[in-house]
Amino acid sequence: MTFFAPFTIPFIIGGAIMAAVLLAKYTLWAVRLPREDKRLIRRNILSFKSLAALWEVVRESLLHVRIFRVNPVLGYMHSSLALGWLLLIAVGWIETVAYLGLRWVPLQGHVFFKYFMPVNGITQHKAGFELAMDLLLAVVLSGVALAWIKRMRSRIMGLRRTTKHVLFDRIALSALWFVFPLRYLAESVTCAIYGGGSFLTGSTGSLLASHLDAETLAAVYEPLWWCYSIALGIFFSTMPFSRYMHIFTEIPLIFLRRYRLAPGIEPKSYDHFEVEACSRCGICIDPCQLQSVLGIDEVQSVYFLRDRRYNMLQLSVANNCLMCGRCQTKCPVGINLNTLRLNSRSRMRNIPNEGRFNYLSGIDRSSGEGRTGYFAGCMTMLTPRTLSAMDTIFRAAGDDIWHADRDGGVCCGRPLMLSGETTAARKMIEYNTDLFRRHGITRLVTSCPICLRVFREEYALDGIEVMHHSEYIRMMIAEGRLQMRRTDMRYTYHDPCELGRGCGIYDQPREVIAAVGELVEPAHNRRDALCCGASLANTVIDDSQQMRIAREMTGELEATGAGTIVTSCPLCYKTIKRAAGTETKDISEVVAENIFQP
Amino acid sequence: MSGLRFGYGINRPRAIDIDSNDLRKSNEILREMPELQTCIGCGSCTASCTAGNLTEFNFRRVHTLVRRGEYRSAYEEMNKCMLCGKCRLVCPRGINTRGVAMLIKRKLGDF
Repeated sequence: MTFFAPFTIPFIIGGAIMAAVLLAKYTLWAVRLPREDKRLIRRNILSFKSLAALWEVVRESLLHVRIFRVNPVLGYMHSSLALGWLLLIAVGWIETVAYLGLRWVPLQGHVFFKYFMPVNGITQHKAGFELAMDLLLAVVLSGVALAWIKRMRSRIMGLRRTTKHVLFDRIALSALWFVFPLRYLAESVTCAIYGGGSFLTGSTGSLLASHLDAETLAAVYEPLWWCYSIALGIFFSTMPFSRYMHIFTEIPLIFLRRYRLAPGIEPKSYDHFEVEACSRCGICIDPCQLQSVLGIDEVQSVYFLRDRRYNMLQLSVANNCLMCGRCQTKCPVGINLNTLRLNSRSRMRNIPNEGRFNYLSGIDRSSGEGRTGYFAGCMTMLTPRTLSAMDTIFRAAGDDIWHADRDGGVCCGRPLMLSGETTAARKMIEYNTDLFRRHGITRLVTSCPICLRVFREEYALDGIEVMHHSEYIRMMIAEGRLQMRRTDMRYTYHDPCELGRGCGIYDQPREVIAAVGELVEPAHNRRDALCCGASLANTVIDDSQQMRIAREMTGELEATGAGTIVTSCPLCYKTIKRAAGTETKDISEVVAENIFQP
Repeated sequence: MSGLRFGYGINRPRAIDIDSNDLRKSNEILREMPELQTCIGCGSCTASCTAGNLTEFNFRRVHTLVRRGEYRSAYEEMNKCMLCGKCRLVCPRGINTRGVAMLIKRKLGDF
C-alpha cells in the first residue's frame, strides 16, 4: 500500500516545523525554570493534582467552559473548532484502523485517508464512519463560519470589540479559515469521482457529479488536495509564532498552575507559558474602562501580552493600565495579567540603587502603646475624617492602639512596586517590617487596601494578624465589643479594586453596612466592580481622564438611589467625593456615627 | 504633623540664567508632560509629601528647578520620592505629579 503523494509535502514540512519549534520552546522554558519551580513540579507531578489538571484540560482546552459562560455562541465557536478538530483526527485514526486493521500508517496517510482510499483500491465504504466524519466536519465548518461572522459582527458574540492582529496572526488565521472549506471541497470532489461520503461530502459530491463532466472533476481533483495540504502546511508552520501557540501551550500551563507555579514580581521562565497561552480572544478588551470610557486602544492585556511576547513592549503601554484586575477575572485562560504586567514594569524600570532610602534608618515616628497596631497609610493621611472615625472606633472597642504613622510614616512600598521599582520597594518593606516587630504588635489594622495588599503578599509578618479596618470593625461587632445603632439610611457600597479583587474582601464591609442600615448594590459590584480611575498603577492618563472614569462609575452608584455612597479605600473615597453629587463616606465614618452607647 | 512645610524656605540669593542653562531636557519633560506648565507653585505637593515629612526633600523645588534647566542633583533628590501619590491627590491643577516624578528620573538619570 502506498501512503505518499507529492501534494502531502507542504503538510509534512509544516508539521515538522511545528513539532520542532514546539519541542525547542517547551524544552528551553522548562530547563530555565527556577529551582524552586522545578521542585514544585517534582513534588506534585505524581499526585491527584495531575488528574485534576487533566480534567481541566478537557474542560478548558476542548470544551471551553469559561468562554461558554462569557457568551454561549462564542463558546460554541471555540469548542466546535477545538473539540471538533480533535475528534476529526481521533475518529479518522479509528477509521483507518477499521479499514486496514492495526498496522503502521504514516501521518499523512491518516490525515489524507480519503485520498489514499481509491489509490489503494478501497472501494467499499463503511457508512457509519462516512456519517461520523461528515458530521464532525459539519460541526467544525459551523465554527469556521461563526469565526467569519465574528470578524464582521462581533457584537453577536457579546464582544463590542475584537482584537486587532499582527501579520503572523493574520497569515495563520487566514490559513485556518481555509483549511476546513478546502478539506470539504477536496473530499466532495473525491466522492463525486469515487463515491462514498455522507450527507455533506457525499451529497455535495453527487451534486458536482451531476453538473460537471468527468474531465473537469479530474482536473480540479489533485489541485484541491494540494490546496488543502498547503493550507495545513502554512497553518502548522506559522502556528508556533502566532496566537495559535495557545492551542498547545494552555495544556502545560494548566498542569504547571495546578502544581502551584505562579508568576512573581520578577520575570521568570514560567511567564513564557502564561504569555504564550494567550489566544488573543479579546475578551479582556471590553471590561477595560480605559477602552469603554476613554476609548484608549492598544494597551489592554491582550495587546500587552502580544507586545511582550514579540519583544516590542513600550513603557507607555506597560504603564497605561489601572491594574484594576477586571480583565483578569474574565480571562478564559486564567492568565495572571496584573502580575505579568508588574514584572514587565520591573524589568523596564527597576534600577537597583543600594544607597537609596538610607535616610530611613533610625526614623521612628510611631506613638502610643498597644498590641494592635494601626497603619493608616499615606492616603488616609489625606482623609482625616477616616482617622478620627477610627479613633472613635478604637476607643469604643476598648482597644489600645500603637499608631505606626500618625506623625508621618514610611510608605508601604506598593506604589513603588506598581511602578516597577521593586528593589527600592524592598527597602520600605524591610523598614516597616522591622518597625512592626520592634513594637511587638500582634495585630495590624490598616485603612488603605493598597497597603493591605502588599502587607499580605510581600511582607513576612508571621505572628501578626493583618487586617483591613472593615474586617476589624466586623470582628469587633461579632465579638460584641461594638454595638451598632440601626438607622433607616440607604447606603450603596463601592468595592475598591485592591480590597475586592486584590484581597478578596467583599462580604465584611457589606456585613458592617448591613448592621447600620440598608445596603443597595450598584449594577457592577464585587468581582465585576468598576475602578474609580485614580489607581496608583496608572501614571499615563491625566486628571480629566481619571475624572471621566470616576463619573461613569459614580453614575452607577448614584443610580441606586442610595442616600450615601460608602467605600473603604481613601483613594476611592477622594475620587468619588470629587465625582459624585451624593454624600460620600468611608465605612469607618458610617460606623463611628452610629455606635450605640448604652 | 509638626507644621506643614510648603517648600518655601530661605535660600542663598542667586540668579538662574535661563540663557546659559541647557533647556533641552527641560523642554523634553515639558513636551511629554505639558500639564506641568500649569503649575502655580503652591507647594501643596511638598506640604503633603511623605518623604518630605521625613527629610529635606522638596518636590516643588526640584521640579521648579528642573523646568528652569537646573538639573544638578535633581535625580538624586527625586530618588527620595516614595511615589505614594499624595501629591497628585492634593494638586489644585490636577497635574499628574507621579508621572512627573518618574519622568524627571527617566530623563535625568542614567537610564
